[in-house]
Amino acid sequence: MSRLETLKKLESTLESFISRAVSAEASRLDTARSLDTLDEIARESLRGRYINNRLARWMSESRKFLDNGRFNGDILSRIGSLFADIQSGLDMADPESRKLHGEIEGWKMAGAVPKRKLVLKAPATAPSSDLLDLYLQYLKNEYEYVANEKERQGHILTILDDVLKSAEAKIDPMYIHLAGSLIYFMKNRGYKVTPFVKRLKDIERLKLGREDDA
Amino acid sequence: MTPDSEKACFKALVALQNRDYATASSYFKMAQNLVAKNADLRILSEATEILLAVKDELRELEMVKES
Repeated sequence: MSRLETLKKLESTLESFISRAVSAEASRLDTARSLDTLDEIARESLRGRYINNRLARWMSESRKFLDNGRFNGDILSRIGSLFADIQSGLDMADPESRKLHGEIEGWKMAGAVPKRKLVLKAPATAPSSDLLDLYLQYLKNEYEYVANEKERQGHILTILDDVLKSAEAKIDPMYIHLAGSLIYFMKNRGYKVTPFVKRLKDIERLKLGREDDA
Repeated sequence: MTPDSEKACFKALVALQNRDYATASSYFKMAQNLVAKNADLRILSEATEILLAVKDELRELEMVKES
């Protein structure tokens, strides 16, 4: 057998091996694909984007996995966590969002609930230490958020725009804090930040009922 | 949120299903840590790398043959 023939045989053997190995994973791949789509929807939701149509489509397409038991315990708890993220961003004044909220509750009844976390309670500490811990937690969460966004979008202005949308849509006050921090950073580097400051002040007024200057 | 390494593994498997080996290889590299811990994924990732090397070698041999 020539070198060319040997390599062609090796190529076809490897292709066949990979194809069979992936086929054996096909059913797991279907549920993983579904989970991945829901994860994308949750990420979009956290950025303050409109996700109702995608979520409704996901629910209708994935219902079969719930009914035939292909979503097992671990997947169901992950779906539950993603639903919790999505639900926090649904606008309950909107009838369509209310309907989706109800459907999520139906999924929860069917077992899609986040895993319970073991919470170890420490003795009460001085308030200043609590505040410092909270600040450190903010910095940690903000670092993770910005690092993740850097991978996806790359530009600080785009990230700031998304943070402001999230600050507007979400309950979590971290986004307001992060927006303020990004704006201050950019201001010190000579960027024109007036429109962003105005957006942040409007959001603060709406969410925190504040009128004071940043 | 699903960790990025898990998402990369899933995308690698989808790429393999579509016989897009170069894309699969890139995603496996992005999920290095997870691949290192999972024997099935490691075998698939290594088989993909060998296949890509074989394809490169074949391409070169065929170019030599044509010239």
